[in-house]
Amino acid sequence: MHLLLIEDSPRLQASLGRGLRKAGYVVDVTGDGNDGLWLAQSNQYDVIILDLMLPGLDGLSLLRRLRAEQNGTHVLILTAKDTVENRVAGLQTGADDYLIKPFAFEELLARVQALCRRSYQRKNPKINIGDMEIDTVARVVRRKGKPIQLTAREFMLLEYLAFRRGHVVSRTEIETHIYSDSAEVMSNVIDSAVCILRKKITPPGAKPLIHTRRGMGYIFDSARQ
Amino acid sequence: MNSIQRRLTVALAGLCCILWFGGSVTAYLAMRSGLVREFDRARVTDMDSLVNMTEQNEAGLKFDSTGEYMPAFRREERPDYFQLWESDGSVLYRSPALEGDLPKDAGTLTSPKFWNVILPDGLKGRAVGVRFIPKDDEDMPRRPGTPLAAQEVVLVACFHRDELDQRLRYLGMVLLLVGAGIAVAAVVAVGLIVRRGLRPLSALAARTAAIDASSLQLRLPTKELSAELLPIANRLNDLLARLEGSFTRERRFSADVAHELRTPIAELRALAEIGLKWPEDRQSTHSALQDALAIALQMESISTGLMALARCEGNLLVVSRERVAVHALIRDVLRSLRIKAHEKQLEVAVDLPEPACWFTDRTALRSIISNLVTNAIDYSPPQSLIRVRLGKNGDVQELAISNPNLHVTSEDVPFLFDRFWRKDPARSSQLHSGLGLAVAKAYAQSLGMKLRAELNHTEIIFTLSNASLCNGNGS
Repeated sequence: MHLLLIEDSPRLQASLGRGLRKAGYVVDVTGDGNDGLWLAQSNQYDVIILDLMLPGLDGLSLLRRLRAEQNGTHVLILTAKDTVENRVAGLQTGADDYLIKPFAFEELLARVQALCRRSYQRKNPKINIGDMEIDTVARVVRRKGKPIQLTAREFMLLEYLAFRRGHVVSRTEIETHIYSDSAEVMSNVIDSAVCILRKKITPPGAKPLIHTRRGMGYIFDSARQ
Repeated sequence: MNSIQRRLTVALAGLCCILWFGGSVTAYLAMRSGLVREFDRARVTDMDSLVNMTEQNEAGLKFDSTGEYMPAFRREERPDYFQLWESDGSVLYRSPALEGDLPKDAGTLTSPKFWNVILPDGLKGRAVGVRFIPKDDEDMPRRPGTPLAAQEVVLVACFHRDELDQRLRYLGMVLLLVGAGIAVAAVVAVGLIVRRGLRPLSALAARTAAIDASSLQLRLPTKELSAELLPIANRLNDLLARLEGSFTRERRFSADVAHELRTPIAELRALAEIGLKWPEDRQSTHSALQDALAIALQMESISTGLMALARCEGNLLVVSRERVAVHALIRDVLRSLRIKAHEKQLEVAVDLPEPACWFTDRTALRSIISNLVTNAIDYSPPQSLIRVRLGKNGDVQELAISNPNLHVTSEDVPFLFDRFWRKDPARSSQLHSGLGLAVAKAYAQSLGMKLRAELNHTEIIFTLSNASLCNGNGS
């Protein structure tokens, strides 16, 4: 999942960026409102975490501009402004969620996860495909009841494919959402990652769930061969 | 509800009704008097006829009842009555319908006596009484030399007054109905007039009532407002402007406090939680600890500033006055900050013409000067000039510290000494909390000094004025 963090505190940029990346997200970080607007306009993010008091362009103006351009990316406002008027103004301007500083990092993660699910019209945090269960909150994958060990990045790739189940997901989309923070994405990195993930989630005798569509990408479905 | 409109309407309508009532009663009485006089005059004519029918001759008195005297006394239905008495009280004549006696009273022919009576038939009537000496009998003239008896008689006639009473009743009814109509019309008209007259006041009241804490930017319209309401509207507008300013300042202060206190706590909490969640990353943990130390120092600075402000405002600042060589103190402060100034390649021009001695608290004064110089360094563009000048203004010595102004406007000047105030609405810089100038101002006030800020074309100037000099009263 690809996130944009627009926060002018360098310390929060560093710590939240690190935490979110550790949780498996791809995170772009900026501390300036104008830069944040440009990034949001130029990329397709799953969630934008937005501070309100920003140099250059304040958070509400940024959000207003995005919504005026019909940009529907989910936005979570993360701010020290705690009055009811502030919260109402933020939500009425087009924010999807509002979190007041100081906050618990786990709560931020949970809210970001919820917004990611909403991005793919999923309300249930558990995804069941055939004999596989993906718990997007506990970050656990089970197949036939047995847990499968995945890295954060592998889990994110699986979650992304599962969110898009039944649809062909191109390599470019995977690169944008899962690997765009890599300095240089080698041409076979995505193929390798998908190959490793496929092996991990397909124990001997089990039905493969990730299928390759040559020249198009990958499709995650229990019913296809 | 105590309504001016209602009170005015009731009072004015009541007054109209009272005036009408008084006028109506006066008019009724005047008209009644005129009608009665007219009635009486007509009766005097009738009486004259009766008087002319009374004659005397040598044989005595005679009433010519055979003549054509007024048919009103002869009619069978509702006849009028009269009675004639001789001077000895005996009855000379009664009208045909009269069976008993009429009340006897009389005036003269020129001034007859009138009074109201109940007629023998039980109806209300009007009586006229005259006392007169009958004329000589024209048919039996007196022989020459024969003296006249000159007997005085009394004639009382009573007339039905139903027509008069009916006209008076009609008049009273007309006045009553017209009065009732006038009263209703007065209430309606007065209500409309009062409402129309008070419309500007009602509009002002409605506009004022619509203003609350969320709409303090509204102002009462003064254009075309009546002269009586203009001072009220102007004063309310002034009040609203001050209130709006206070609310704006309060809101900004709350937002600034929230940012200055919540953000470092959020940073610290995020550092701690993420460090605990992924403790295996030693490099990140080390970096997090360095950040935590910087946050702690920042919060220490904020708490120190807030404590200093609280002490000053609570008059708890312990002021130890002593002789302070200000020029030396200024040079000492500048020396301590020269590295900071050097980093931005700033030039500091110091103009201290002669040694000055202030009788004040050395530590607090140092804090004021240090805050002002630090502020000048932080907000000067690189490679610019800061001026520090000590001069005299009458009996007061003034220390002026100025630096090139890039962003502060004249609208900002009143807020410069507000706690947590910063020009940058994003409050991005972690080097400042917006307390330095507030602390400097509070210290200055505690020391009995004045600290002010002003703008000229290119610079912002902070001036510290002190009247407590070593050779002055304070020493």
